[in-house]
Amino acid sequence: MKLSVEIKDLNKYFGKFQALKGINLEIGEGEVFAYIGPNGAGKSTTIRVLLGILQASSGQVKVFGQDAWKDAVEVHKRIAYVPGDVNLWPNLTGGEVIDLFVKLRGSHDKALRERLIRDFNLDPTKKCRTYSKGNRQKVALVAAFASNADLYILDEPTSGLDPLMEQVFQECVLEQKNKGKGVFLSSHIMSEVERLCDRVGIIREGQLVEVGTLDDLRHLTSYTMTVATERTIEGLEQMDGVYDIYRSDADIKFQVNTDHMGAVISHLTSFGIKKLESAPPSLEELFMRHYGAPS
Amino acid sequence: MNGYFENTMQLTRFMLRRERVTSTAWIVMLILVVVGLVPGMYAALDATARNEMLGVLANPAMVAMAGPAYAEIHGTFGAFYTNLMFIFTAFTVAIMNIFLVVRHTRADEERGRYEVLRSLPMGRLAGINAAMITAVIINAALAVLMGIFMYLGGLIGYTDMSFSASMLWGVALGATGLFFAALTALFCQLSAITRSVMAYSFVALIFLYLLRAPGDMNPDMEWLALISPLGLVMRTQVFGYDYWWPVWVLLIGAAAITALAYRLNATRDIDQGLIPARPGKAYGGWLLSSAPGLTFRLQRFMVILVVVGMFLLGASYGSVLGEVESFVASNEMYQTLILSPAGIDISVLYGIPVEDAITIMNQLLGAAGFTVVEMFAGFIGGMMALMGLAALIVFTLKAKSEEKDIRTELVLAASVSRTKYLLGFVAIAFVAAVLLQAAMGLGLYVMAVNTLANPADISLGFVMQTSLVYVPALWVMIGVAVLLLGAWPKGTGIVWGYFAYAFFMDLIGSFGIFPEWLGYTTPFGYVPQLPMEDINFVTMGLMTAVAVGLTVLGIFFYNRRDINAVTHSGVSIKPTKILTRPRI
Repeated sequence: MKLSVEIKDLNKYFGKFQALKGINLEIGEGEVFAYIGPNGAGKSTTIRVLLGILQASSGQVKVFGQDAWKDAVEVHKRIAYVPGDVNLWPNLTGGEVIDLFVKLRGSHDKALRERLIRDFNLDPTKKCRTYSKGNRQKVALVAAFASNADLYILDEPTSGLDPLMEQVFQECVLEQKNKGKGVFLSSHIMSEVERLCDRVGIIREGQLVEVGTLDDLRHLTSYTMTVATERTIEGLEQMDGVYDIYRSDADIKFQVNTDHMGAVISHLTSFGIKKLESAPPSLEELFMRHYGAPS
Repeated sequence: MNGYFENTMQLTRFMLRRERVTSTAWIVMLILVVVGLVPGMYAALDATARNEMLGVLANPAMVAMAGPAYAEIHGTFGAFYTNLMFIFTAFTVAIMNIFLVVRHTRADEERGRYEVLRSLPMGRLAGINAAMITAVIINAALAVLMGIFMYLGGLIGYTDMSFSASMLWGVALGATGLFFAALTALFCQLSAITRSVMAYSFVALIFLYLLRAPGDMNPDMEWLALISPLGLVMRTQVFGYDYWWPVWVLLIGAAAITALAYRLNATRDIDQGLIPARPGKAYGGWLLSSAPGLTFRLQRFMVILVVVGMFLLGASYGSVLGEVESFVASNEMYQTLILSPAGIDISVLYGIPVEDAITIMNQLLGAAGFTVVEMFAGFIGGMMALMGLAALIVFTLKAKSEEKDIRTELVLAASVSRTKYLLGFVAIAFVAAVLLQAAMGLGLYVMAVNTLANPADISLGFVMQTSLVYVPALWVMIGVAVLLLGAWPKGTGIVWGYFAYAFFMDLIGSFGIFPEWLGYTTPFGYVPQLPMEDINFVTMGLMTAVAVGLTVLGIFFYNRRDINAVTHSGVSIKPTKILTRPRI
């Protein structure tokens, strides 16, 4: 597989503060990758290093096989970027800013531009100073999707959008995915990540703590099981991989590690199962586990 | 009107609290500068010297700038001082009030802060009312303190500045301030955009300042001065006749304008202006297809404004050239500055009538191959170039403010090289340097040929040389700014310090107080003094090379540093607690 992003042992310091601690990451071309983590974890710093706007203190960062810092201009010809906090020139209109970005990237698809402005329901004749946060994000999103990029780097691009526009955004991403284009998406909206992304990376305190597909991540963790049986279950407490047991009159709830699932179910069968529910952890739960204090 | 003004006083107290630093600083600075000059100037100028300077003040070009020369008939120091300083002080007080009112009305509204206040139990007019009451309180404080300190300043060594007249000094300033506060409040109702309100207010201020000039110069048109607050304020004739009526006219005018502003404020919606915002262009023009094009588009208006401003500045100096002979012949300070460099012993001019002095001066200068007009044009060239330099530094450092506002990364992320991006700013500053100097020279020449008794005293070629000769020095200063932008963006303030130093050296250096080598510590020290010296193309070429070298070095460093490094290192990010890697 050809790689779009290749990060090796990336460290970034701001003075004494270490913002990124030994990041290693590979993303294939055409892959939609979610980059999630709490505020201040280093998401935007990683993205700015990818863009060659910040220089890596040490380590290697390559985009499409080229050095993100030295070959920034070449790299950017294949990239479109949407920042989380879009600052635009107050005295230019949205339409003018869109045209500027599209032309700077060297592409020119007028029909696509018009379609996107319509889809995102944007008034391009208004000065940027009058736009709300959501509208400024729409300007940046239209400018990004209207230029034919191979990799879209999106840093919390939908934090100001309404649910309707969120939908439009997701369709735009899926359209790019179907065209075989890659997306590097930093986001706090879990439903968005679950729907769009092939793989997820979780960063915390400047370290990449987990990378994998959603299934991979789930596999590493536990399922929540709710069981009701004819006879009282015994011996559950002594089983490996079972914890957080909570008994009520009607049923019993507990966590079970995925690799002990088989043994647990066969044990349960002997008590005459009336009801058995098994729920994979939502991304939200996975997320909380990584965000919160260590368990 | 029930409830329209609910909670005004609460809000006023809040605004005064927000003003405790800014407005205090304004008032203290104004008093320090204006009153601080009194004892020194009184000590430095005896009655004869004052009378000489009054002659200068009566010169039409000076009347156009500083107002009618009423002090001649009074002969007091106070009247002389008022004649010299009053209109400029009033102008500054007006600027203070424009900022003050915009800050508490439209700026708050545009930023969405006013909306939060309005969601509280607050009258519809409480916002503007509180802002105006704040303006009244601050202007009253300025008036009283200025009056008292003026009197105290006068007491130090001098007694003819009476207490009541000193208070009139202060009160007239306060009334002018209030007038402009009201005018600004009115403009705040017209446009929803803070920048436009600022523009309207400053254009009005400059227009009213210019409007009174013909009124002050020509008695038949005095009504023009009477409808301008800056014409009215001079008609108080402080430390002379001490008229109070202009103060009442100003206050009544301020009250009427305020009432109109309230009326408009009560009928309009929040976040709206009476002048509707026009829809802009839906498509980007040809300029918006490259990074330098964008940079030019963003600065275009400012560049044009400054070019026009420099033309007017040149023109205002040009208009004085017609009087410059009698001017120099009657003023020792100007003799030192303008004649001594040509090697003329000015002591021969002491104590002889002005007419004779002019003849002798022209003979001596003529023998050396110059005219007074040329000497004067050469003398003011450096000063004018330095005024334009302030704008050039702003144009260059725009690259930093764009970076600070996190817009630079948007452009750089769109396949633009850093070199190309920064060169856009540099190119504008370099070209603007030539344009500003040319505009200034042209302005000076156009006014000079129309006012000089003998237009042959000056030629366009010479005037253009005196201004364009400064271009390489300006480029070097731009180069310094670029180097800092690249190598040490946090330290770009240094270029302003260097600018202030160069300004100071140019101003003071001509008096010959400091050792000669100090003059060579700024690029302006290497600019030939026309018409005494010839243009040295080797020096100019070297200076251009230095400017280019500094720029190249700046770009070199700019390519090697983090963008936004300014903001990042400004904010210290401290993790509250260090968490260990979770075990799964």
